[in-house]
Amino acid sequence: MAAVCPVGFNVAKLKDEVRQTYASVALNPGGDFHFHRGPEYAARQLGYDAAELAKLPREATEPFAGVGNPFKMGPLPKGATVVDIGSGAGMDCLLAGGQVGPAGQVVGIDMTDEMLARARRSAAEMGYAHVRFEKADMGALPLDDESVDVVISNGVINLAPDKPAVFAELYRVVRPGGRLQFTDIVIGTELSEDARNNIDLWTG
Amino acid sequence: MAEAGFRNAASRDIFDSFLGSSKEATARKFGVLGANFIAYK
Repeated sequence: MAAVCPVGFNVAKLKDEVRQTYASVALNPGGDFHFHRGPEYAARQLGYDAAELAKLPREATEPFAGVGNPFKMGPLPKGATVVDIGSGAGMDCLLAGGQVGPAGQVVGIDMTDEMLARARRSAAEMGYAHVRFEKADMGALPLDDESVDVVISNGVINLAPDKPAVFAELYRVVRPGGRLQFTDIVIGTELSEDARNNIDLWTG
Repeated sequence: MAEAGFRNAASRDIFDSFLGSSKEATARKFGVLGANFIAYK
């Protein structure tokens, strides 16, 4: 499986396109996008518990645009420190917050202001003081070395052209004995150079 | 993940994430699916 995807376009442009796309999702979750969104999709296609999602603010669940369900790999330990890479409007972070409880902490990392705003409002609405959101790039996490028990993520790491750099950063922040538990896109074919350099295919 | 130092990496659970979306045909063309991954430090 290839983890580095050499591209001919400016990666800063990719980052900006991704940010703009997800800002649009945050501002208008019901808009015209090529990928599914929302709690009904999460329950119907990804195996999320509809009853659990119904307890969360719609502000957090409506813009959900994940590609799988990292919680299917097992519950998060009570009291754990969890980081969500690309936390979006916070749906997975709020679910994680319920699992780790107030003795744990959850940090959502995202680069899109509009998503961070929704996530912060939703955590406040839930009264989850142990869930916070930080604006950062997944390649430069505002976290101490070996400070995290579990890293989750849902359809985000695929957006990084240099995935080894991201995994190196995740290794830095995960404690010995900790783990990655994430969902992402896989591709079953080798991409042509034209396909790799088509920024529209990256942003969906 | 192994290159970074993580051990016992495995993939589990496949998701047909683009089923019914306007990108379904593109997803089928490139074999795009969602998958769960786990790895340990």
